Amino acid sequence: MINFVKKHYLIILPIVFIVLIAQMDKYDQLTTSGTFGAAIRLAIPICLAGLGGMFSERTGIVNIGLEGMMIMGTWFGAWAAWLYGPWYGILAGILGGALFGLIHAVGTVTFQVDHIVSGVAINILAAGVARFLNVVAYADQPTQSSTQSPRIDGDVGDFTLPYLSGGADTPSLFGYLQDLNYPFISDIAGLLLGATSNLSYISIFALVLIPVAAWVLWSTPFGLQMRSVGELPTGSESLGVNVYLMKYIGVMISGGFAGLAGAYLVLESSGIYREGQTAGRGFIGLASMIFGNYRPFGIFMGSGLFGYADALQLRSDDAVHGLLILISLILFIFAIKQLIEKKYINSSISIALSIGFLIWFLNSETVPSEFVYFTPHLTTLIVLSSASQKLRMPQKVGQPYRKGELS
Amino acid sequence: MTLAIDLSNISKSFPGVKANDEINLKIQEGTIHAIVGENGAGKSTLMKILYGMLKQDFGSIKIFDNEVNFSSPKDAISEGIGMVHQHFMLADNLSVLESVILGMDRASLKVLNKSKYKDEINEITEKYSMPLNTQSMIDELGVGEKQRVEIIKVLFRGAKILILDEPTAVLVPQEVSELFNNLKNLKDSGVTIIFISHKLDEVLEIADEISVMRGGKHIDTVDASTVSKTDLAEMMIGQNLPTPPKREKNSKQDKALTIKNLTAETENGRSAFKNINFSINQGEVVGIAGVEGNGQRELAESILGVYPIESGEIILGETTINDLSTRDRRESGLSFIPEDRQSQGLLMDVSLSENVILGKQSSTKYKSRYSNIKFNEASKNSNIVIENFDVRTPGNNTLALALSGGNQQKFVVGREIENKPSLLIASQPTRGIDIGAQSLIWNKLRDARDDGLGVLLISADLDELIGLSDRIYVIYEGSFVKELDPENATPEILGSYMTGLKT
Repeated sequence: MINFVKKHYLIILPIVFIVLIAQMDKYDQLTTSGTFGAAIRLAIPICLAGLGGMFSERTGIVNIGLEGMMIMGTWFGAWAAWLYGPWYGILAGILGGALFGLIHAVGTVTFQVDHIVSGVAINILAAGVARFLNVVAYADQPTQSSTQSPRIDGDVGDFTLPYLSGGADTPSLFGYLQDLNYPFISDIAGLLLGATSNLSYISIFALVLIPVAAWVLWSTPFGLQMRSVGELPTGSESLGVNVYLMKYIGVMISGGFAGLAGAYLVLESSGIYREGQTAGRGFIGLASMIFGNYRPFGIFMGSGLFGYADALQLRSDDAVHGLLILISLILFIFAIKQLIEKKYINSSISIALSIGFLIWFLNSETVPSEFVYFTPHLTTLIVLSSASQKLRMPQKVGQPYRKGELS
Repeated sequence: MTLAIDLSNISKSFPGVKANDEINLKIQEGTIHAIVGENGAGKSTLMKILYGMLKQDFGSIKIFDNEVNFSSPKDAISEGIGMVHQHFMLADNLSVLESVILGMDRASLKVLNKSKYKDEINEITEKYSMPLNTQSMIDELGVGEKQRVEIIKVLFRGAKILILDEPTAVLVPQEVSELFNNLKNLKDSGVTIIFISHKLDEVLEIADEISVMRGGKHIDTVDASTVSKTDLAEMMIGQNLPTPPKREKNSKQDKALTIKNLTAETENGRSAFKNINFSINQGEVVGIAGVEGNGQRELAESILGVYPIESGEIILGETTINDLSTRDRRESGLSFIPEDRQSQGLLMDVSLSENVILGKQSSTKYKSRYSNIKFNEASKNSNIVIENFDVRTPGNNTLALALSGGNQQKFVVGREIENKPSLLIASQPTRGIDIGAQSLIWNKLRDARDDGLGVLLISADLDELIGLSDRIYVIYEGSFVKELDPENATPEILGSYMTGLKT
């Protein structure tokens, strides 16, 4: 137990702080089931994009085209859902993303184009293609527009855990605990209630993909071959692994995940395709992949963090104000940690920032609304830049590989 | 006895080069067959053809009397051929178990049966007494263990024929003898081994038969028990085997470099090296022997000013250079031959005349009053280097990547020596190059020493260290454990200090 706390104190301490801060009435939105439920919904597209990035980078291909593949997911998802219904939308979103994954793979694997160049091209191309298709596909609709689709019925039904969260007209244990307003117990109950009630089947499908991705990569011969290709393509080739094929599959799975993320956005959040809807989530997914150290559950943690901050800014300006003291506390812990490691300059910067946030917190009642919108990005940035874990990226990621060449 | 391998008339051309020219080679089952030759003699090409990585232009391959036609290593593996490459084909981020079983199964989505594989691997490690922990990650292993993983990987695939490409290049003498014991065990249980090397002593020790290649041709196959080293060398290069030039001490009293109590830590707080004390006189070569990763690289880089030190003093000539930047250190007379010429010594996509500027780009030698580069000067100096160091190139406009490894290295060494330093740090100055280039570099280093240059020589080639150095320090786990006179040093003695067997 003590060892567990020691090892994970950088995750545990912030949670403890959040719960403590949430005890103040003004900040109780920090730990309600509503916040957590929204956080999960906001985290899922980012998590899916991050998983997509992981499949690509594990096979050695940098995929900054995730954003573009996600755009294809939104458009194809909306179009097929409009024509045939939401599940077809999901399928079409995956295929649309995978198609652009295929383009990226052809460029980077077969033609050895620089991965960044190809990825940027994908992003530009996707934006243009989506607009073109939108004009063509909805030309005879009364609501015709170059940037929007008609409204889509994205309802696939949802699921609430019976007895624990009150699904199917059963009593809700977590709901009861949350309403008791006991410190900690109610907060944790809020978290569990948010995570287990009113989840749409699409969300469940997406969440199930996380352990599935981990299982595929670490427990099957296919996953072993994929990982080896990103680490050591020449060696894998000499053991009979089809490196090109693995890279193709990896990048296409990557596109499929990004496409699913896009379709999810359309069907779950907005019910409509809108240009610019992805709003950089592909890139944030990439960031959560790095934060998650190229591992599925780490990616889930990273995207959960962003989703949580995003949910807070949507639900309550007050709660965002509570984050200031949280940031201050976390920076303070960091300062101490760096002091122990004798990194004096880093430590003093952390201390100064910590005091700055504390002063801001004490001298204000709310946070300016401009800052509120910016919260998720800022939180992600702070966590990313201070995440001191040892990142271990695939050894040969981003490097061109030619078959038959021994290095 | 059956023939394990029967190659007839194998030819392979690359644009402009005939890498293999009508090679005929027969190898008996259950023997150790060595293939020797200089770099570029065509050994690697032949082995890649045998392992299915390249396709021959002409000729046929018979394995155990079956004519085969390989299109990929997978085909070769299924015929019982396995190869251990010189540079290990291991991914740091995989476990031993994963590395061994990689590629065994088709890329399917069924569950990997790890416990079954683990038992099978342990069976092999016990049978050939090559202990290994299957759970370890590759980056936790030492060089010798990594090589063992490679061999087990091949045996696990049921290899009857084992190709070892320069297996001893990365090992210290004790590890070499361990490897040789393992190889003898393998031979006794019927495995055929092809041993590629250019170290003739080792080849004579381990091999039953030796084939010599030169310039893409198979010169001869001889019995190891009857052939002498000199004969082999003559077959290999058509002239006598070069040895490092004999020493005559010629050092002067003035110090070129003095190191006092130098200590440094690695990034994760471990000690990189501690309390290093030594000095180099002008006209003296001081060698540092050590197994890779014992602090010698960090030591060289800290003298150069690239690696941060904790405490201690670095004195170049008479002045303390602790606080100088790397650029200032180079300008006050320090030169450096890096261990990896391609990533640290040269810009591969740039011409030789521009490459000669590297390291002196900010000195007035190549910088005009208006901060322009003096390209004429660079062109002139690159021609001097090319001429003095016999760099084989069409001209100084040739890109560095067009040169062979030996010529690249000659150019790097030439550039650093022609800069007329007072101290030269030479890190692996002849690694992986052919005998001709090696002997030229040795001679040039010796000439420079005779002219009063102080040299710090770091090398994994123990013969080179013994041959060139005036004094040798052995570094082990970051400390100098022994100072040796090369007159009395042998590779075995050095090796036992390098591995901590003796202190």
